[in-house]
Amino acid sequence: MTDTVKLPDDIKPVMQNGIPATVVTCSADGIPNTTIISQVYYVDPVHVALSFQFFNKTIRNVRENPHACVALNDLEGATEWILDVQYDHSETEGTIFDEMDMQIEAIASATGMSGIFKLRAADIYRVKSFRKISSPPASSRE
Amino acid sequence: MAKEDVPSAEPLLEKLAQKTSEVEVLRRIALEINSTLDLDQIYSVVLRTMDEFFGFRHSTILLVEGSDTLRVVASHGYETQPLGGIVAVGTGVIGTVAKRRKLMRVNHLRRQHEYFSTIRKQMEEAGRAGELGEMTPLPGLPDAESQIAIPLLIKDTLVGVFSVESPEQKPFSEHEETLMTIVANQAASAIQNARLYRDVEERRQELAEAHDRLKQLNETLEDRVRSRTSELEQANRELRETQAQLVQSSKMASLGMLAAGIAHEINTPLGTIQSNTDVERRAIGNIRDVLQDAAVAKKLRDDSRLNRAFVIFDQVNQVTLEAARRVTKVVQSLSNFARLDQAELELVDLHEGLDSTLTLINHLLKDRIEVVKIYGELPKVRCYASQINQVFANLLTNAAQAIKGTGTITITTRQDGPYAMIEVADSGHGIKPEHLERIFDPGFTTKGVGVGVALGLSTTYRIVENHRGSIDVQSEPNKGATFTIRLPIAPSA
Repeated sequence: MTDTVKLPDDIKPVMQNGIPATVVTCSADGIPNTTIISQVYYVDPVHVALSFQFFNKTIRNVRENPHACVALNDLEGATEWILDVQYDHSETEGTIFDEMDMQIEAIASATGMSGIFKLRAADIYRVKSFRKISSPPASSRE
Repeated sequence: MAKEDVPSAEPLLEKLAQKTSEVEVLRRIALEINSTLDLDQIYSVVLRTMDEFFGFRHSTILLVEGSDTLRVVASHGYETQPLGGIVAVGTGVIGTVAKRRKLMRVNHLRRQHEYFSTIRKQMEEAGRAGELGEMTPLPGLPDAESQIAIPLLIKDTLVGVFSVESPEQKPFSEHEETLMTIVANQAASAIQNARLYRDVEERRQELAEAHDRLKQLNETLEDRVRSRTSELEQANRELRETQAQLVQSSKMASLGMLAAGIAHEINTPLGTIQSNTDVERRAIGNIRDVLQDAAVAKKLRDDSRLNRAFVIFDQVNQVTLEAARRVTKVVQSLSNFARLDQAELELVDLHEGLDSTLTLINHLLKDRIEVVKIYGELPKVRCYASQINQVFANLLTNAAQAIKGTGTITITTRQDGPYAMIEVADSGHGIKPEHLERIFDPGFTTKGVGVGVALGLSTTYRIVENHRGSIDVQSEPNKGATFTIRLPIAPSA
């Protein structure tokens, strides 16, 4: 049941571990797109926010087809978290947007990338399901 | 309830003890940083406490400097001190916290930097380097993995940023974040108070310095006013002297012309008188010779009335000649005194000048003052005769006026090395000690209103000075006064 899926707390450090996440989307006519994003933000147990910066293809796809898949790598735990999510809405202000924007601005400004990494929106996705894949794969939940 | 079901109190007690310890630490920090206005001491307490009690090894305090920068004012735990380092508002974690005025925690900094740097490198390789900004070196750990930065705020005003870094992965807990925020708020207040106090102190110091400068300027101004006043007084004195000398020169010129006129007018009738008297004397002699002739009646020769008449003739002639000689001397003295013909430096017989002057002021001397002349050997002196005669007239007139009733004026002259010395001493009432220093000042007088113009001695002083000479006075009350003049016999200019 997608309505009852809740993200566990142990995914929070994985979201903050600084390892870029992989996002896969698909256009309405079935063409997939994979991109790397710097931030997956834990909003609440059923929502995550993805940083909308410059991956226009991803945005176009989820406007057409709201389903997406996010892969998070946990090097310390030698695991990968796969989240099936659905685009909900975009935020250009507020706490979530500010938190994500600050993180990006802090690093981007120190690396001379302020003009490149500029948060345009915090795209809020509802978590439909997630899987934790260990190596060797040990468990999965839906 | 079974005993084993009762929850243990130990964890609660430990938690309580930890909370108590933290509260005590926070209380102590608050007390320490609020009991001093020394900024360095405040920084030291905050950073040391963060290390000792919370285990935050690397911490910095940055204060706002100008409108868009922060400067590291204190640091703790760094091998290379970042003290003095500059962070632009909006750059890096600290700069972003300053810009947003919100706390920020960052983990896995290295990975994030690596990710951004990778993108940067890719863009450079793709020929998009022009879109990139410069990499900004920031003070702090070069390999920080975790960082928390807290804005130091007083109401809505940003005072600075408090930052803690760790080279290891160290997720800061919400509890730690709360503790640090409490300390940061305390520090912000203490820092602001200390800075205000420092500003007030600096302002007070500036005011004190400004006051000192003003005082000094006032003193300088007073000195300048005094100096200027003195200059003006001196100029005024010189002006009055010049005026007096002008008047005196004019008087002398008039006197000279008058003397010339008088001499001319008097000399002619005087010559007639002298000539006639001589003719008369010789005529009477002839009459006497005739009467001695034997042919003349003895009666006429022995006539007593006739003989008495002859005696009277002799006496009258004698008196007339004497008077004529006296008039001649006065006229000569008058001419000699004015000396209009000697407007330039001439070799002058000072004794002659003294005698002429004495003749002219004879009316002041009359029978009441005896003049004693002790003239020594004195060569002629190169000077302006009319001016020197004026000096003699001033000194002798003053001497005569200083003597009430009878007395003596002694004039002594002699050569004193390269100088001719003239001394005029009187037996008058003398000069009071408090007046001695001022008697050569223009306008100074003890004679009272209506007696002279109080410029005689100042003019005398100026004339002697112009001749490269000197004038001194010695006096005691009721013991007379002695003025001594020294004039160079052959002045250099």
